[in-house]
Formats: sequence, structure tokens, C-alpha cells
Amino acid sequence: MILPLIILYVITLVYLSITERFRNFAALIGLQGWLLFAIALVRLHAINPAELTFIALETLLFKGILVPALLFAVIRRTKTNHVYRSGSTQSGSLLLSLVALAVSASLTYYIADSTVDLVFFGVALYALLSGLILIVLRQRIFSHMVGFLVIENGVFLFSTAIGVEMPLLINFAILLDILMSVLMLGIFFMKIDDKLHADDADSLTHVKD
Amino acid sequence: MIAYLLTSILIAGATLFVRRERHLFFTGMLFYGVQAAFAAAIFAGGLYGKASTGWFAFDAAGSLFYVLLCVVSAFAYFHSEAYLRDNALREIRTYSALLMLLTTAIAGAYFAANLAVTWIFLEATTLCAAGIVYYRRSAHSLEAAWKYVFVCSTGIAMAYLGILLLAAATKCESLQYDVVAQSVAGANALYLKVAFLLILCGYSCKIELFPLHTVGIDANFAAPSPASALISTGLVNAGFLALLRVYKLLAASEVFPWVRSVLLIVGVLSLVIGALFLRRTNNYKRFLSYSTVENMGIAAIGLGIGGVGVWAAVFHVVCHTLIKSSLFLQMAVVRQVYNGYRINRIGDYIHINRVGAIGLLVGMVALMAFPPSPLFLSELMILGETVAVGKWWLVGGMLLLLCIVIYSFCSRMIRLCYQPNQDELHLSKADRALSWSALSLLIAALVLGLWQPDFLQGLIDRIVLP
Repeated sequence: MILPLIILYVITLVYLSITERFRNFAALIGLQGWLLFAIALVRLHAINPAELTFIALETLLFKGILVPALLFAVIRRTKTNHVYRSGSTQSGSLLLSLVALAVSASLTYYIADSTVDLVFFGVALYALLSGLILIVLRQRIFSHMVGFLVIENGVFLFSTAIGVEMPLLINFAILLDILMSVLMLGIFFMKIDDKLHADDADSLTHVKD
Repeated sequence: MIAYLLTSILIAGATLFVRRERHLFFTGMLFYGVQAAFAAAIFAGGLYGKASTGWFAFDAAGSLFYVLLCVVSAFAYFHSEAYLRDNALREIRTYSALLMLLTTAIAGAYFAANLAVTWIFLEATTLCAAGIVYYRRSAHSLEAAWKYVFVCSTGIAMAYLGILLLAAATKCESLQYDVVAQSVAGANALYLKVAFLLILCGYSCKIELFPLHTVGIDANFAAPSPASALISTGLVNAGFLALLRVYKLLAASEVFPWVRSVLLIVGVLSLVIGALFLRRTNNYKRFLSYSTVENMGIAAIGLGIGGVGVWAAVFHVVCHTLIKSSLFLQMAVVRQVYNGYRINRIGDYIHINRVGAIGLLVGMVALMAFPPSPLFLSELMILGETVAVGKWWLVGGMLLLLCIVIYSFCSRMIRLCYQPNQDELHLSKADRALSWSALSLLIAALVLGLWQPDFLQGLIDRIVLP
């Protein structure tokens, strides 16, 4: 049951590397939230039911509903719809994303060991690399924000692999979501639009030597 | 510990609602009274060496750095009152509350006995520090705050991935430092290496070490100078302590020599960046921030060398806290006079504020590690240990880079004191009382260079014990 969900999760990561519409970004982050909710439900079914309910609700509420809703609100407010100044072509991004996938798979195969769940580790690593690629290749701050959320989701996915023994770790991962997502999306992004009237990273290069 | 955290947060919350500027002084007195009482409870009230709620422990490292934090934070708070006197009450009280919350979060990180708890408090420092960085509400401060939140969040997420991997590798049911340390010996070496790399990269944004050192520099640049004194010392120490705990935790593992090599590389790279950018920057606050990168690089080299180098690294960080906070507080007075920090424009400070200029010049000598600076001792110990282990290439490289640092400091600080001023002076006169106050921290550091009390030596001995 978990494998199809994880494959779907990997597909969303690949799609994120080629899409150029911000609405698609927000929708994919929302879809990842729902997938993580389902994965948490299946993966953690053995833990204390009260704890499972709490984790599942947190995941659904923040990753599946609140974060995508905030992203859509930002899109509406800033009226930015498209990555018109992508630093790379779609095919280049796709190629880089596939290279990242191959690297993650190879590394996971190389460190194969019974200590950690390799599928979760490999996908988390791929999410980390995908997020970094998004941050480095795209110029708009919105893309950077999405890159950060992709990394965060990857970390959460990996925490569910270990969370069977230590559910507290998943709660900490969600804490990261709540604090950072709300702060970054809710406050700073709005302020940046007000103060800088800019939505690409080129405008954020004044503080330097 | 919980009582301390709640009391501190409550006072910070109350600060948000004060109606007169004078009341900020009283809430400040109350807050630092609580800190002093807590420090007294640790050292005189029997808390030292004990655990609290299973999440915290009052060990030597936490206690020593907490005392330093209280001193630096109190100086930063009361200097801020004078520094921000003309600003709107609403802004000052928010800033004051955030300064208190930042102090509390840093204290939580110092006393955390659990990997995840350390991580949570370091995350909390990001939120508080970002608010302080955004204090001026300008485009520059917004940019610095955005970068700070973004890069720190990414770094903290990476560090969490490292902690998860460490938990998986050791198969511990608890993330208490002592529990993980016991299980680390038989853990998968590759997982431990990857976990350490992720934790080091993640925490480097707090320690102001390569590779994520840039956000700390931007944050210090945008924050008010007294707050920079706290960010560049207390917060940096929180990251250093978190790294030191992971370093000690891995001491029993087979990957420890590799960990030390990584720290050597990171330390050397930080020293290179610090030394080169000290020449390049045209802003005195960024200049002092790059000096922090350079000094933390030296501390990382101390950890990487091992042996007496670890003792020297901890001593270096302790003394750097006093010296650097003093210099940042002096810079706050410089801004009062010139309304800016541009290196190529401002000068003649010796004739405007003699006490402040002397404070800056003595601070320069201390940071250059000339006797009787305590940094002379620590750097000599690190270099001595480097020679002892036969790493001559490192000794040569360090000496070359330290020469660049000395040249940069001499040219920049002497320029501030003696070159003809080209900017209009700000209306407000230099507050000499603030300069004297900042100088007292520097004198305390110089005393440590001449005489290290047994109490301090004993604490550092316990910190470096495996």
C-alpha cells in the first residue's frame, strides 16, 4: 500500500521540476501534503491510536490544507502566476531532476543496510536534492519558498520511517512546519511584496559586500 | 528549568504591553534579576550537575555559557535602551521583548540534554532573531531578515535530517546525548558520517562557520548594534555548544578521526573566508561579523586538532564572547556619532570620543591575539598542538591568514580613529558612559588573558572531558 503512495510522491517531485505555473506548484505541494497524510496513516498504524490521530490531523491540517491555502493566497495577493524568468529550460530542469533521482537511488543502494528504511531514505534524499535544485535554478522567491517546502516534506517523510519507534520525532518535524511555514509564508512574503514590490531574487541582492 | 522558561517568557510577554519607556527599564531589571537568580541557583543553589525534567541538564558547558549569555544580554538590553531612545515606544517594546525571548531560547539550547530539544531551541532562536533583524523595517533589514529565516530554516531542516539519521543509525529509543553516546560505538559508520555532515551544515548558520556563514553576517549588519553583540556571541555560542555536544557524542565512534578532519577543513575554509572578506568589506559591522567567522574557524580548527586544542577552542570561544560583544557595543556609539558604518567615509573618532576610540583600539589588539589578549593563549595552544601532531602545512596556512587578519584590523581600525572624517556628524553626541560600559567587558577579557581563575579552568576541564 505504501509503495504506490511513495511512487506518486516521487512523480510529484519530478513534475515540480518541469512545471512553470505557480498554481501548479501550490497544487503539487497540497497533493504532497495529502500523500504524506496517507503515508503517515499506513506507516504508523501500529503506534498508540491517540498519537496516530494527533499526527494524522496535524499532517492533514498543516501540510494538506493550511500550507497550500497560504500559497494560493500569496498567488492571489501578489498576482504572480508564472515563472517567466526561469534560470534554466524545462528540459534542463527535468534532466537535472532525473540525475538527482539517479544519484539518490545509487547512494541508497550503496549504503544499503537494515538500519533504516531504504525507500524512505532514498525518497527523502531525492526530495532534499529537488528542493535545492528548485532554490538554485529558479529566480523567483516563490519558487525558493516551494523548494523549502519540498525539503521540509522530504524531512517529514523520513521522520515517518523512524517515527514507528519514536512518534515524538514526527511531532518535532511538524513543529518545524508550523513555525516556519506560517512565519515565512504568512508574514515575510506579504512584507516583501509591500516593501520591495518585487518577486524575484534579483531584488534581494542589496545586502552584500 | 520549566519554571525559568515560563517566568522569562511571561516577563517578555509583559514587556509587549508597557505604556511608558521608563517601564522598559523595570521589566529589563526584572528579567535580568530572574536570570541572575537562576544563575545563582545553578552555582550556589545546588542545581549544578543535576538534570531537569529529563530534557535539560545543568552541566559545566551550559552553566558557563549561560553566565556569559546573561552578562552579554544584559549589556545589550540596557545599551539598546540608550541606543533606541528616539524610536517609537511600540517598536522598542517589541524589540525588547524579542531580545528577552532570544536570550531565553539561547539559554534553552545551552541546557538541552537531548538532540531534539537543542534543535527546537535553535529553531526558536531563528524566529526571535529574525524579528530583531527586521527592527528597522527598511528594505535592507527586510532582505536580511528574509534571507536569515530562509537559510536558517533550510539549515535547520537539514540538521533535523541529520538527527533523524543519527537516531536511525544508533537505534536509540531516546535522543538524550548520553544515551546516544553509549550506542554510537557499534553504529553504521557511513550513516554517522552523513548525519554529522548534515548537522554541521545545518548548524553552521548559527555558528557562523562555512558554508552557511553568510546569513549571520547579513543579520548582524541589519540588526541594531547592541543586538548584534548578542547574535554574534550568545547565539553563535549556542550553535558551537550544539556542535561540541555532537562532537563529544561521536568521540566513541570509529568515525571520530574523520569528524575531526571535516572540522579542520571547515575551520580552515572559515578562516580563509573571514580573512579575505575582512579586506573586502566597506562596513564596520560586517567587518566585525567576518571577524566572528574567522574566530569560529579557529575554534573549529581547535576541535579538529583535538587534544589540548579542544580546551583552547572552548577558552577561545569564551573570551571571544567578551571581546566581540564589547566591540559591537562600541560600534553602537560609533553609529550615534556618524549615523553609519562606512569604512571609507568615517574617521577622526579619537578626537570625537577618546574613550570609545581607545576601546576600539584595545579591542583590535585583543582580536589580533596580541598579549595580554586571552586569544593569544588560545591560538598559541592550538598552534602548539598543530605542531605537535605534525601538521606543518596547517601551521603555515594559519599564520599566513592571521597575518592578513592583523593587517586588515590595523588598517581599518586605525582609519576609523585617525583618518579625516568625510561624513557629516550626526546630531547626537557620543555617549561616553556607553563607551565606558562597553570597555568594561573588554577589560574582563584582558584579565582572563593574564589570569584564568581555577573555577573557570575547572569548568572548561569538565567541558572537554570525554
